[in-house]
Amino acid sequence: MDQAGIITIISVALIALGLLFFLGAAIGLFRFPDFYARMHAAGKGDTLSSLLVVLGFAVYQLHDFDFTFSTLEFNLQSWKAWMFHGDGLIILIVLKLIAICAFIMITSPTCTHALMDAGWEDGIEPELKEKGANALAKDIDG
Amino acid sequence: MAMKWLALVAVVFTGALLIYGVSDFPDWGSADSPANGGIEGAGRSVSQTFIQETKPLTHVPNMVTAVLADYRGYDTMFETVVVFAAGMAIFAVLRVLKTVDGQHSRVIRDRSVDGDHQRIIVGTTCKILIPVIQMFALYVVAHGHHSPGGGFQGGVILGASFILLGLSDGMETAMERLSEGKFVAMAAIGVLIYAGIGLLSQFVGRDFLDYGALQPLLGTPDEGWARSHAMLGVEVGVTFTVTAIMFAIYVNLASKGELKGGL
Repeated sequence: MDQAGIITIISVALIALGLLFFLGAAIGLFRFPDFYARMHAAGKGDTLSSLLVVLGFAVYQLHDFDFTFSTLEFNLQSWKAWMFHGDGLIILIVLKLIAICAFIMITSPTCTHALMDAGWEDGIEPELKEKGANALAKDIDG
Repeated sequence: MAMKWLALVAVVFTGALLIYGVSDFPDWGSADSPANGGIEGAGRSVSQTFIQETKPLTHVPNMVTAVLADYRGYDTMFETVVVFAAGMAIFAVLRVLKTVDGQHSRVIRDRSVDGDHQRIIVGTTCKILIPVIQMFALYVVAHGHHSPGGGFQGGVILGASFILLGLSDGMETAMERLSEGKFVAMAAIGVLIYAGIGLLSQFVGRDFLDYGALQPLLGTPDEGWARSHAMLGVEVGVTFTVTAIMFAIYVNLASKGELKGGL
């Protein structure tokens, strides 16, 4: 199998896995019992699946990439040609997509956390096995 | 009541004028309209002219941005003025100038006990992200005359970074960075930069907003580069106004016009 085929398979696998997690997050959002459990599903599923999908895009960009670096020689001119007119442009796109990954990884969990905290301060009760004032503490202990 | 009737008459009159103007339009989808087929004798249509001449005349690879900032510079200038006027309207409606000291309409939430963990996580994330967001905003502005992006988008991103600081660390912290005097001045300076670049080309002896006239001032090899650079200049002006007005709207809404306490 040639390079483009392998790269396509890897990227499609990553994107499909990401979509699977998206499905899990969506089902969790509808089926979990209370606000906190739902946010947990949305936060975790969303983060991982967006990461996987964007990573799949990044891998897909490499389908024309020359992994042998055959055009690259040890002089400034060939480096410039590689960077500004050749495969360097692909690397640029891949780096941008990886940067998006990094930002999703930082912001998405924080966003979920801030929403949950707002819910807790607003007095949304988590659904617990045992009702009552100290039910959460008991649930954590036992 | 009389004012309402007067307003109705004005609206109906303006509407009638617009509808009357529509009758002079070329037919819908007409191949002979100036936009599609060109004026008789002139040869090319308007869109063909832009497609063929934008790059050689302005050195801007993206013709949409060239049309936005150069060919219809008037329109974009008054869009900036509209943003400025919207900010001033928000100011006029919401801003409370006389307040009793120590009496805020909104109580500042006591974050000492329960809020600390929230403050650490959200605060740290914002501390990491705000510089990156501002860098990205400047990148969008710097590409305004060259590719999709520009003053409006970059200004909104830059304004959002200040709003994020206000949301995560308290409005007063953000106000320390961008006080009321500063953002009102910034909004006005933005419009002034745009109109000033337009006026500058008028002083040289050409039309208002005809950036090509700035070639001797900017020292560029030809008029196209002068137009390209002047476009960046007006985008910077737009950024000033949009950033300031975004933040002004946020602080006025968040503190009910008192600019104290806040969310």
